[in-house]
Amino acid sequence: MKSLGLKKVSENLTNDFPAIEYREYILKNGLKVVLCNTGNIPIAAVNTTYHTGSRDEIVGKTGLAHLIEHLMFEGSPNIPRGKFDEILAKNGGESNAYTTRDFTSYFISVPSSHLETAFWLDSDRLSGFGITNESLEIQKDVIIEEKLMYNDNSPYGSLDEEISKRLYDGTNYSWPVIGKMDDIRNMNLKDVEDFYNKHYTPSNTVISVTGDIEYERTIELIEKYYGEIFCSLNETKTEIYPKKITKETSAYIKDDIHLEGKFIFYQIPPAGTKEFYSFKILSGILSSGESSRFFQELEYKNNLVHEADSSAFSYEKSGVFMISAIALKGKDMQIIENKINGIIEDIISGNINDREFNKIINRLETRFSSRLQSIVGLSDRFSYLKTIHNDCSKINFEINDYLVLTKKDISDAAGKYLNQNQRIVLNYIPK
Amino acid sequence: MAIVKLRSTENLDRTKPPKSGKPKDMKFPGFFEAKTSNGITVLVIEDNRLPLVTSRFVFRSGAAEDFFCESKKPGLSSITSELLTKGTINRSATEIANEIDYLGASIGSGCNYDATFVSSYSLKKYFSRVFDIISDVILNPSFSDEEIERVRIQRLNSLLAMTDDGDYLAEKVFIREVYKDFPYELPIDGDEESVKSISRKDILLNYKKIFYPENLIVAFVGDITPDEAISKLNENFAGWENSGLEKTEFPETPSIKSQKVFLIEKKGAVQSSIKTGHLGIHRSHPDYIPVNVMNTLLGGFFTSRINKNLREVNGFTYGARSQFHCCKHSGDFSVMTEVKTDITADTLDEIIKEINDIKNKNVSAEELRDVKNYISGNFPMQLETPNEVATKAIGLKLYELDDDYYSTYLNKVNQLTKEDIRQAAEKYLHPGNLLISIAGDTKALSKSLKKFGDAEVTGDNI
Repeated sequence: MKSLGLKKVSENLTNDFPAIEYREYILKNGLKVVLCNTGNIPIAAVNTTYHTGSRDEIVGKTGLAHLIEHLMFEGSPNIPRGKFDEILAKNGGESNAYTTRDFTSYFISVPSSHLETAFWLDSDRLSGFGITNESLEIQKDVIIEEKLMYNDNSPYGSLDEEISKRLYDGTNYSWPVIGKMDDIRNMNLKDVEDFYNKHYTPSNTVISVTGDIEYERTIELIEKYYGEIFCSLNETKTEIYPKKITKETSAYIKDDIHLEGKFIFYQIPPAGTKEFYSFKILSGILSSGESSRFFQELEYKNNLVHEADSSAFSYEKSGVFMISAIALKGKDMQIIENKINGIIEDIISGNINDREFNKIINRLETRFSSRLQSIVGLSDRFSYLKTIHNDCSKINFEINDYLVLTKKDISDAAGKYLNQNQRIVLNYIPK
Repeated sequence: MAIVKLRSTENLDRTKPPKSGKPKDMKFPGFFEAKTSNGITVLVIEDNRLPLVTSRFVFRSGAAEDFFCESKKPGLSSITSELLTKGTINRSATEIANEIDYLGASIGSGCNYDATFVSSYSLKKYFSRVFDIISDVILNPSFSDEEIERVRIQRLNSLLAMTDDGDYLAEKVFIREVYKDFPYELPIDGDEESVKSISRKDILLNYKKIFYPENLIVAFVGDITPDEAISKLNENFAGWENSGLEKTEFPETPSIKSQKVFLIEKKGAVQSSIKTGHLGIHRSHPDYIPVNVMNTLLGGFFTSRINKNLREVNGFTYGARSQFHCCKHSGDFSVMTEVKTDITADTLDEIIKEINDIKNKNVSAEELRDVKNYISGNFPMQLETPNEVATKAIGLKLYELDDDYYSTYLNKVNQLTKEDIRQAAEKYLHPGNLLISIAGDTKALSKSLKKFGDAEVTGDNI
């Protein structure tokens, strides 16, 4: 068995942090593999991530990447429709999957004695196309119900769709992952097969296996089931060049809700950049815990909001900083917005105290120490790091990217990206 | 017939599944157990792989107490537990938040019908300081008027916001009807009228009824030894005395009702949120295991009959599940799903058909073997983290299960026969007695659901 690019990390980060050991391989068809033996209980998790998502779709065919995610459980060359989950279940396993703008992840957990069954099932989906029209039509119905449930029938459920079209206008990030209703309805089998052929290729794939595994035996099995799958097609990555926002946009959206909501969005640099880590810390200062600025100023002292939150999240090519506030019934949103503006201006002016900064670092330490709790979560994290950052060592060293930051980095990042002319404000109001 | 396109000529024969080894045995982990002189049950689930410690305080009474107030006070126990962390005689709410957040720790509290929970989570190196705060929160809450008003306003707004969610509305009415005149009939979070009326006096009395040493199970989880745990517990709780209040006596379990339809208007609904079922069994019921294996087959997981029918065959829904929700003194059975308004009646027909099928016909040997394998294979997954083990250990005490319950669990599952499954279905499923609770477009539903009986229609201000 050939295995290239073996890499082992065993240095401890600090005495306090238990390091996670893992190994990396690349098969000759380009498939990337990460293995991590965590011992403990006799289960294993397999995460297979394809570096393709809704951004690889085109206008008129939105929702295709997510539709394929559903269909990958509905039949492959040797696994008839409906059998994937049945076979897995009777072997004591479970599976699920999710689609993002940039990638699609499939995960399986099984008793470690049945790991080979997981590889057999999962690799069959990569070995060839075996989806039928019947599966396609049923899954279109299922997805329409999924969209109705999460978007149309949920309070504030249209938020992703409403913000994406404004924040990423003119790019392939501008539509929701689940797609537009008419596009889903009109999709045909050829659309599905073309997308599959283009993007579901070994060189576009990362497999991460965690849990009770032996390294040699596991890479042998992966070679056996995935190593001989070759295809000549080359996938091309869809580039994304978000337009800079230079003027504040405000929109009002009527919804079946009882409490008014305000959602403020800014474009920021993507995950992996110094600025993005700064925004992660900023979101902690603003909204994590009851000592945070939002909780104290908006909820506790002034009884203005039911909830106020902030978060920094990222797609592969762009990050987003989001602030949200759900007003208490009868409170004036303008007063809430003025308070939020005041807090952001305060941060930009450099007014961050040592205690609130150190608090977030302490919180990160707790979170970082608990990153080895679930093998499914760990395999997902490895696949993400390999797919998006091509760097698994972040599992042990990403904390350093936070520890080098200063209070000034936080206020500088805020000053550069969180100005009022750089934001889009969505106001949800009761119908 | 599918047209299959293979990508390469491989030597591997993919047509047959690989042979697997025998699953490794997974024993339920042992844990330390002791009782303090004032009657606190102490559990220690030690696991030093990560430098973290969780403390979990579980009091053996919860929202069911709301039923036993002079006049019923839904939401009272839940508000009492929420207020614990909002100030003590030694620390203000903000001081508690400042210190807990600074240590990178978290604390939380809440309740269900049978129990009240308070917990902390922190790095080991800060455990002692965090434990001092959580002890203070449990022993010396101040329940100040100012904090009560703040929680009251927030709760009233939560109740309002929750009515935007169809699943919440359907569940609320289902619970009210299935447990009518039994303590579980009341919504744990309360209702507008009750939340507005709760006084500091109510809260103090509720606190006294729930928070005393003999009512308490404390589990220490993670990087902590039994010696460390006991000594820390004694330091803070040795002087805590029992109140001497009598334990609440529960009334007789309610009976199964006759079939009835409840429709709740959900403004702008494009789907129906369905919750349908009837009374079930309590957690320590001797038939709990056969009933749950039967339910797993019926609607307990992805490839169960109900999900396969409604999602994979008919494309009616994104997902559908059934469950036996088992509490300490009673329980309920229900099927839950969300579907388009115009296929609501068809969906109910299919649900009723599946319930009748499992009741009237033996499951196949293959189906039974497969579900046993699924449950056996999945069991270790539920013991992955020390906190998951602790949840089960606490459950043994809270629901008064046999000490060997989890060590014999898989054996009992694997001994079940087709006849056991059919008997469980026969005895505990009643497709002719379904309470059908649906939030959605009541005007359209009143017409299409006529064949299921007359409907009681309400607005969302339930």
